[in-house]
This record gives sequence, structure tokens and C-alpha cells, in this order.
Amino acid sequence: MENLIITGLSKTYSNGVKALQHVSLQIPKGMFGLLGPNGAGKSTLMRTLATLQEADSGSIQLGDLNTLEHPNELRKVLGYLPQQFGVYPTLSSEMLLNHLAVLKGIINRKERKEIVHALLHKVNLYEVRTQKLGEFSGGMKQRFGIAQALLNNPKLLIVDEPTAGLDPVERNRFYNLLSEVGEQTIVILSTHIVDDVKELCPRMAIINKGRVIIQGNPIQIMESLQGRLYEKTIHKNELEQYKKEYQVISDRLYLGRQLVHVVSDTHPGPTFKSIEANLEDVYMSQILNA
Amino acid sequence: MWYEFFAFEIKYRLKRPETYFFFLLLFLFSVVGVEFVFQGIDLGLVKKNSPLVIAKSMGAITGLSMIIASMIMGVPILRDFQYDITSLIYVNPISKRSYLSGRFLGSFAVLLLIFSSVLWGMIVGAFLPWNDPKDFLPFQFINYVQPFLWVVIPMLFFGASVFFVAGALTKNLMVVYTQGIVIFVLFMITKGITNETLQALFDPFSLTALTKASKGWTVTDRNALLIPVFGIMLLNKLFWIAVGVSALAIGYVKFQLIAISEKTFNKKQKQKALTSPETFTGSLPSVTPVYHVKAQLAQLFLNTWFHSMSILKLISFWAIIVCCFIVILVNSVSLGTSHGVDSYPTTYLMIEELQEMSIYFFMIILVFYSSEIMWKERDVKLNLIHDATPLNRFVNVSSRFLALLIIYTIVMLSLIAAGILFQTWNGYYHYELDVYFAGFFLDLFPFMALYTLAALFFQALTGNKFMGMLATIAFAIINVAISTFGLEHALLNFGGNALAPYSDMNGYGHFLTAYLWVKLYWMLFGGLLLILASILMVKGNETGLRKRWTRGLNQVRDSLGIFSLVCLSLFIGIGGYIFYNTNVLNEFWNKDEQNSFRAEYEKSLKQFEYIPQPKITYANLRVDLFPSKRAYEITGFYHITNTSGEPIHEIHVQKRIASKVVLKDVAFDRETTSNSSFIKYHYTIYKLNQPLAPGDTMKMNFRQTLQPEGFETDNSDIDVVYNGTFFDNTVLPSFGYQKKYELEDEGERRDYALAPRLYKSQRDDVRELVNARSGSDSDGVILDVIISTDAPQKAMTSGDLVAEWNLDGRNYFHYKTNQHIINFYPFLSADYEVVRDTCTPSGNGAETPVALEIYYHRGHEYNLNRMMESMKMSLDYYSTHFGPYQHKQLRIVEFPRYRTFAQSLPGIIPFSESIGFIMNIDDKKDVDMAFYVTAHEVAHQWWGLQLEAANVQGQNMILETLAQYSAMIVLKEKYPEEKIQQFLKLQLDEYLEAKLKSSKEELPLMLVENESHIYYNKGALAMYELLKHIGEENVNMALQNFLNDWRSFNNPQKTNRYSTTLDLIQYFQEVAPDSAQYAITDLFERANKIK
Repeated sequence: MENLIITGLSKTYSNGVKALQHVSLQIPKGMFGLLGPNGAGKSTLMRTLATLQEADSGSIQLGDLNTLEHPNELRKVLGYLPQQFGVYPTLSSEMLLNHLAVLKGIINRKERKEIVHALLHKVNLYEVRTQKLGEFSGGMKQRFGIAQALLNNPKLLIVDEPTAGLDPVERNRFYNLLSEVGEQTIVILSTHIVDDVKELCPRMAIINKGRVIIQGNPIQIMESLQGRLYEKTIHKNELEQYKKEYQVISDRLYLGRQLVHVVSDTHPGPTFKSIEANLEDVYMSQILNA
Repeated sequence: MWYEFFAFEIKYRLKRPETYFFFLLLFLFSVVGVEFVFQGIDLGLVKKNSPLVIAKSMGAITGLSMIIASMIMGVPILRDFQYDITSLIYVNPISKRSYLSGRFLGSFAVLLLIFSSVLWGMIVGAFLPWNDPKDFLPFQFINYVQPFLWVVIPMLFFGASVFFVAGALTKNLMVVYTQGIVIFVLFMITKGITNETLQALFDPFSLTALTKASKGWTVTDRNALLIPVFGIMLLNKLFWIAVGVSALAIGYVKFQLIAISEKTFNKKQKQKALTSPETFTGSLPSVTPVYHVKAQLAQLFLNTWFHSMSILKLISFWAIIVCCFIVILVNSVSLGTSHGVDSYPTTYLMIEELQEMSIYFFMIILVFYSSEIMWKERDVKLNLIHDATPLNRFVNVSSRFLALLIIYTIVMLSLIAAGILFQTWNGYYHYELDVYFAGFFLDLFPFMALYTLAALFFQALTGNKFMGMLATIAFAIINVAISTFGLEHALLNFGGNALAPYSDMNGYGHFLTAYLWVKLYWMLFGGLLLILASILMVKGNETGLRKRWTRGLNQVRDSLGIFSLVCLSLFIGIGGYIFYNTNVLNEFWNKDEQNSFRAEYEKSLKQFEYIPQPKITYANLRVDLFPSKRAYEITGFYHITNTSGEPIHEIHVQKRIASKVVLKDVAFDRETTSNSSFIKYHYTIYKLNQPLAPGDTMKMNFRQTLQPEGFETDNSDIDVVYNGTFFDNTVLPSFGYQKKYELEDEGERRDYALAPRLYKSQRDDVRELVNARSGSDSDGVILDVIISTDAPQKAMTSGDLVAEWNLDGRNYFHYKTNQHIINFYPFLSADYEVVRDTCTPSGNGAETPVALEIYYHRGHEYNLNRMMESMKMSLDYYSTHFGPYQHKQLRIVEFPRYRTFAQSLPGIIPFSESIGFIMNIDDKKDVDMAFYVTAHEVAHQWWGLQLEAANVQGQNMILETLAQYSAMIVLKEKYPEEKIQQFLKLQLDEYLEAKLKSSKEELPLMLVENESHIYYNKGALAMYELLKHIGEENVNMALQNFLNDWRSFNNPQKTNRYSTTLDLIQYFQEVAPDSAQYAITDLFERANKIK
């Protein structure tokens, strides 16, 4: 199986925003999590991968295929679920899937019908396949989105912030589906939700302000904080002072009280409790360091 | 609170670019508003900045721009729903009244601001540097403000109220887009109301109301009076203001401050319930996507289907179609001819009517759905998914194009069905499906296809729906305008020329070939546009033009490179072929070149205008017509006599100025030297070595051929056609300067520094008193013609048919006149049916029967009996009361509808297929105009052919007014008095309408020049008055005496000049009692009003 190799990808928008700066990633088959805050450049990267916009420099290689030079070749093996998308409100999901299948080159009528029905079953929309898409709920629409992305048995599946707006049950179902697909395919999942990556992805990268900060296996990444992470419950109005004195990577409320996580090479003091690092801590520390 | 909403609305609108855009658009539109609204209408003496003209222009502009009002007024409430902020607004303690009134008044204020540009624009339009000051009154601000306040503002209030309420209650953007059109349709519907007052009352744009209110105004009134604020205008305004107020009241009552309606809530609930939690666990079947050419064709087909189905499912589309059919239904198909009688609903008339009424809707569909279809993915935000599919760009754009073509096809097929239904309804069962299909799919369809390609291109180029629509509209307008700037060549004028009119006799004739080549040429250009569109079409996130270009080019280079090259080279190749035909094989002259040629002609040759030239006394011709080649070959000779008092040293021969017409072998029976210094004007001077003495006759031989090569694209060659050839002897060589080649338009003459041209010479101009026609070559001629044509066509000219034979597949006819005729005779040839009869006109004496013949096109039998009866009754009456009929035959011969007149020549009346032959005369309600027109033409056998009038002012009173009188009397013989009254009413209406449009001070009948409304319409009325004053016998007596004394031939007392109205009126005065003398003066010598 071919890897997706991104080398030195840069993109600066006309308004001066540097959305990507020398991004290099190596993505093998399986689920790959792309983590980053809003505005980090995730969607730019995803759209560039999906041939929807051009990079200023750098290359993207899927196996032997230079996707920037031959975007249409990539599209033939691409499944793409954008962060936001709409549908023709008056069409049924079956009709629109059928239409998209034609666009993806599935010309054989029987084949098309089979894949459309199988996918509708898979994303559990078969029962409502004749319903107008305009009447779909957010979750149903999202499931439709994944169905269309899978129409052509893609080699590369790009899903951009797919779980936004899904309830927990739907989110789980969605993940199951993705990981199943990930057994044969490169799946790039972009998200700002740490848990998504943690639960699904054997490999990941964190991206912020257009740069790849770290990439690798989540467990290895977490190890970078191993033994350096401490937690303390403090009073709300002490927060500013703690932020000055320590390297606070997260502050949140826990049962109504202020909880801070602090990174330190040495034990910051007896009132601090040493804790196991989780991925969110890694993420926060990386974002804040940058 | 109220003020908050009001102020918000204004601030919001002032920040939006479209506000300024609309303002600018309306402003620019208004600057040329008068020209646009009154294009093709001669305002006559009414000035372009008179209040009435301003009011009508403002009304029309506002009416056409109602869609702008809808876009401003329809959205203020809808916007809150669209952006889903109703929950945030309605949760506040606001009152419905302040919310609605604030939004309404705020938007209305903005609307007034935008439409004030109509006022400013029209004012600026009055000061354009190229305006002709004599078309304008001195500037008066009130002339603009009053119509604006009184016509435009109430109209806007009505529109604003209705649009606002409709938008607020339906909360549907489509309603906002279409309701402006609906109002327009409403307006068109009111045009179908027959009661004038009701029509004026219900006209939302007050155009009909203005017409009604200004009925009976004189030119002075029209230039001076402001728009009346009483009467029908007041009623109209009150009515529409009331409609506006009621709409607001209904809106206020019905509107509720509720963010979510129960309906949508229920729907969502239902959907949730349907989702079951089970999951599917089987593995996905594998698919094999294919991308080869066959697959792409399949994609093209399936996508075309998909896109066209999606338009067919749009309510807006059906709304437009329903509107279109309502307009057709209400306006009904108008089959009126110029004589106030309907025609039979022949297929070509149906097509022309249907196209005329549907073309606006076609344009709406085109502009609207070509933008819709290009941006449909983007509009619903499906574009990222769509653009990430491997669909070939060209297949993508082409399928959208084809889908639109399918839409047009469906609309056209429905129109054809409607046409057939209409024909059936009217008891006309001669369905010509081939004509229908050709009419729509050869003519309108390629036009639509080309503009669609342009529209798709502009959508892709601008990368913006709105700008694309705008560019398309601007392109269409520029295209119409461009041909007036000298780019008349079919290769430069996008889409080429329109298809020539269809004729039952000649079909599309030879025009079709050139038309198809030009269309093919432009379709290839369209193909290139489509390729460009596929390159430039916005894909993914790239919106910059240059990026799209390089990127698109990269992606299509392989797949489309060869195809584009083929298109381009075919385009150039066919363009070259067309150019070869129009400019190498034929000559192409644009308007400027033609004008300057005419000007130079006049400047160089005017010196010869009145030099003495011999007169033709005998013409012997051999005319071989080749209709299938559109060619002729004429050989023959003239006998020419010097009728002047001095010897003639030079013969000036003017060849017809036309390409492909060759005059050769000109030879005289004495020695000549030819002088070719004016050969540029096809004008050769033959110097006679031995001058032609007064009274002497000589012979002139010549040979003239017409031999078309290749094709031309301007649809103007109508003389010799496949079936329905019709031309007259004016194509033959002529003597001396020809006034007909002079520039006529005053402005154009000024441009070339030529003195203004008299329409007709003064009544005492001795040089024209001896001419019966401008530059006449003869005072009477004996004609001997052998005319041949392709079998099975028959060919005619004036004279007795003395022999007829067939040789080598050609039909030959030998015609000879037994006496002098005027030097004006036709050549006709077509595949005719004929109906014959004979009669002995009662005034002719028993031994002189006249053979009556009508040569007509198969299928045009409807009115043959009426025409035949009219010929008989006319010959009877005229021969009895004026003098005997001079020929042994009278023929009516049909010719194609490229020209729409009937014309009387010696013993023969060429009669256009578009008048008389297809009139559907209902004797209950119509005047029998087939009968009348025939009688009028037969009367010319006396007035014009027996008695000629001098080529000076008043000539047309003698020729036409007397023919009108004669025909009217024959009509009176056959039909009851009320038909005569109906006929006179029609004459009065036509006269008054034309009088308003005439830009000339009206002349009395006796000095009439070329104003047909005076010599036809007013003439008929005046003669009827005269008849009432002095009685039919006296009028006839006067005319008989006049004819006797002034007839051109067999007249021993003939003077050396032709008659004028001065003579004619003396004959009237002779027979009139003293009490009626004043009436004669009043009717003919003064430009009085007619009752």
C-alpha cells in the first residue's frame, strides 16, 4: 500500500495569512489524526490534499502520483467529506448519491445501484433513502456525507471536522464506520477534539499556525510529558499568579473548583500532585509552547 | 423602537453594494430611457422632454425595473429568517407594528432613493451632447418632477407594499425573485382587456392610463400640459394605492412574530422518528470507476438529464412558464393585418406571434437558469464535494449547457402544441409540423443556444453569479447596439442575422443556406466559449481569474487540446468560407460605405438631372428567368425617340447599381463613342457621332444578366427567388440621373454636406410637370416580351398572351400589348394555381370581354371569390362611370410576403401573399378588405395607368385618393352603409394615429407629398364628404371629364404636361353647386381637421 507523503507544503493567502508553512507529513494506511485549534490551517491542508486549492510550494505524493500536478488522477481515488457542506434540499439521498456516483465514474448502472444501497445501509439511511435531504437532521446529513465519500472505494479518505454537531451516539457510530474503512485506506481525520484522535488514530500530527508541531504515535507523543505533569486545585483568583509562576498548560473547572495542569521538569512542590499525561495535555502544552 | 428598525434598515441598505448598483443601473437606463422606450416610434412634433413623454418613459422604466423593487422590498422580513436570527429578534419585547412599519418604511425610503435615479437620469438624458436640440423643449424641472411624483411614486408604493407583504408572509426567496416578473405579466395581461377605460384603470404602470388621459390632445397640448391629476389618471392611481394599502393591511393582520412555524417543526420530528439505530455490517461491494471516452459520454448524458430534471422541478421555472402561457392566452394571438382584418392562423404567423410573445420569457429563463445551473453546487454548498470528483471539466460544463437546451426544447414543444391548439380552436386544420419545427428549431433555438453559451462563459469568466448575469445582459444589449455602429457583417455580429421570414410560396428560399453557414460559424465560436468556460469555471477554492485560468488550462490541456484546435480551425475555416462568399464572390458594403457612395453619386451626377434624353416608345425583350439559380438573362432592344426640341448628342445609360447584374452589348443603330468616366456609378455616356434630331427615333440593343454567385447574408435579394420571382422594368437600363439613389435621411444628407431634399417638387415646377415618375424614361411604350422560366412555373408580365409553349423543360410565354402602356411593367414567375373567369364590363361595349385570372399559391384559396367578384364589380362600375377598361385581361398574381403590398401595373396586379389571400374575413364584424383592396388596385387601371399625374405635390391625391374613392363606391355597391361607416372609422383612426407621429406640418390634400395617412386615409374621408355634398353622379361626372381631358393615351387634346391637383379640383368645382364650393376648398385646399 502506498503512503501519502507531503513535503514542504506552504500556502500564504492573499491577505497575508500564512496558512501552511513547510508542512511535511508521512501518512500510511490507517487512521491519521490531524489535531489543531481553530484556524491552525487544518482545513487549508485538507482542501489542498483534496485538490480543491493549490499550494504555493511543496509537493504531495500518493505512491507514484504527484497529486498537485495531476489532481484529476487523485480525485479518482479520493473520498472527501468537507467540514461544511450542503445538499440539494429537494433531492432524496438515494438520488444525490446516485448522481455523485456518476460523477465519480461509476457508470455501470447495476454497480452503481449496489454501492449506493450498500452505503445507505452502512450509514443507516436506507430506510429514509427517498426522503428529501432538506428534511434531514444534522447527524443524518453527516452520515450522508460519509456515504458519498465512500462511493468510489477511495484509497485516500479525507474527513474534515466530521463530528461537529453530532450527538454522542451518532459520533460513536461514525467512528466505528471510519475505523472500519481505515483498515484498507488512508483516512485523514482533522479535528480540534482531542478525544476523537485518542480513540481512533494510531498516528497523528498536531498542527498550529500553519506548522506541524509534532507527529507520531499518540502514545509516544504522550510519553514526552511523562513524569513532568502536575495537577493542583487552586482558588479562582490565584490563577493569574500561577500562570506567571508556572508553565500552566490547562486551567479548567472541576466540580466548581479551579484545576490547573502544570508542566515542570522538577517537582513544583508538595501541593502539586503528579499525574499521568493524557493526549489533551500534550496538545495543550504544544499549542501553548508554540 | 420603530425608529430603531427604520434606521437599521436604511443603514443596512446603505452599506450594501447592490443599493448603489441598482441606483447606477437605473440611472444609466434612464439616461437613454426615452430612446429606449420610444425606439422605433416617431414622436413627430412631440418633444422628447415633454411631460407626457417623460411620464411614459418613467412609467415604462419603473415597470421594467419592478424586480429591483421586489429585491429591496421583499427581503427585509425574510432576511431575518434567512439568517436565522428571528429567534434573537422576536424574543425581544418588540411590537409587531413598530417591527413591520419600521422595516417597511426604512426599505421604502431606500427604494425611493434608488428610484430617484430615474428622475436624475432622465434629466441628464436631456443634456446629452448628441441630442438634436429641435427634439427638445427648453428645460423645465417641473416637467420631470411632476410625472415622477404623480406617476412613479404611487406605482412604487403599490409595488413596495405588495412585495413587502408577499415576502414577509411567504418567507420564500423565490417569491421575491419572481414577483417583479409577475407584476410585469399582470401588466401584459391588462393589455388584453378590450374596454379602454378598464384597461387604463387596471394598468399597474399607468401607461395605458396616460394614453387614455391624453387622448384628443393636440401636439401643442402634448408639449405643454402636465400629467392630469384628475379623471382616469386619478382613478388609476387611487385604485393601485388602494391595492397597496389593502396589501399592507392584510400583511399586518396575518403576520405573526413567531420564529418557527409549526409546520417545519412537525416535519423535523417525523424524520427523527424514522431513523432506526441498527447498523449495517456487511462489507461494501467493490466498484470499478471508469473514465474512458464512453464513460464520459455516459456521464454527459446522465448529468444532462440530472440538471434538466432539477430545473423542471423548480417552482420558479413553472411560474415563468405559466406566466408565459397566461400572457399568450390573454393577449391572444394577434393576427391583425394592416387593414384591421385578422388573417387565417397560418403556421408561420403562429410562429412569429408565439416567438414574439415568448421571447422575453426565453430571455428570462436563459439569464436566470444559466446562472442558476452554473452555481447550483455552490449555492447549496455542495461544491467542495462536487469539485473533488474526477468529473472532466468539459463534460461538466457541457452537460449544463445541454440541460438548458433540453429546457428550451420542452418550452418550444409546448409552444408548438399551444399553436396547434389555437389553430384547431379557430377551425384551421392545415397543420404544418415541419414549418413549426423549422420555425422554432432553426431560428429561435440556435439563437438561444448561442446566448446560453455566452451566458455560461460570462458566468465562468466573472466567477460570480450576479456579475455573470449582468455581463450576459450587457453583452446582449451591446450586441443589439453594435450593429448600428457599422459592424453589420455577420462574421462580426454575434449570432449572425435572423432567419428570413417564411413564405408559403418560397419557404425559407435561398436565405437558408447562408443562414445555416453563419449559424454553424457562430456555433463553433460558441463551442470555443464552452471550452473557455470549462477552463475558467470556478472549482474548489480558487477564485482568482489568473489562477483559475492556469489551473484549468493545465487540467484540460490533454483532453481538450485537440478538440479546441479542431473547433478553432473549423471556426476560422468556415469564417473564411463565409467571408469568401460575402466579400469575395459578392460585395459587402456597410452602411457608411453605402451612404458615402450615394452622396458621391449625387455630387458627381446631379449635373445631369434634367438633360434631355430620348424616351422609350417600344420595348422588345427576351426575358429568360432561372428561378432555381436565381438568375435571369434579358436581351432586347428599345426604340428611343427624341421628344425634346433640341438634338440629343449623348445618351446617358444608367445600369442598375447592384452587384452580379451585368449590362453588356449596349449598342445603338448608329456610331457612338462611350465615355466611362462615371463607370464607378455604373453610368456610361454614349456620345452619338451623329446627334439624334428632334422627333427622330433610334434603336438601342442591350443584354443584361443577373448571375448570383455564392451567398450573401443580408436577406435582401428578393427579386429572383426559387418560387415567387417578382421584379419590374426598373431593373432595366435607364437614362440619365436617377434620383432614387440619393440619400434621403435629412441627418445623413447633412453629414455629407448635401442640401435638404424636397419630398416632392413644387406644383409649378415645369421640369417635373412633364414627368409622370421621377426621371421617367417614357411617355408610353408598346411592349413585346417573350418570357421563359423553369417548368412548371408560369411567368407573367403586362400584355396579351399571344403564345405559350414548352421547350427543353422550360415554359415560354409571349406577351404583347395592343396599345401604349405606361413604362412600368412587372416580371413574375412561380408555380401557380389559377382561377379564371370572364366578364364584359358594362361600360366597355359588348364586343370587349375581359379575361379575369387570379394566379395564386396552392392553399391560398380562401378569398378568391371575393377578389374575383371585386374585379368584376370594379370593372363594371369604373368602365360605366369613368371610361372603358383598356385591356383584354386583368390578372391578379400572388408574390411572396417579403413585400407587403398590392400594386397595379398595366392589366396585371401583383398582390402580396400576406394581404388579401390569407385574410379571415368574418362578414358579420369585418369589412371585406380583400374585396376592397382588389377594387382599389383595379381603380388604378384608371388612376395611374390611364391617367398619369405629374411628379409634383398632390400627385398622390390624384393616384391614391381617387383609387380610394373608387374602391369605396364599389364597396358601397356590394355592402350596406354600415360597412362603409366602419371602413371610414378605420380610416379616421389610422389617420389620427399617423398624424400624431408625423413630424411634418400637415399639408392640404392637394399638396400632399408622401404622407400615406393623408392621401389614403384622410383622402378617403375627404372624398366621402365631397360625395355627401355634391352627390355620387356629380363626383363621377367630374372624374370622367378629368380623365377624358387628361388621359395619357389616345388623347388628341393631350398637352405636353401631366395633370396636377390644380386641374382635378377645377373639375370638382365645375360640377359643384355654389353652395358646395366652400366644401371643396375646405376638403382639398386646406389642411383642416376632418370631422
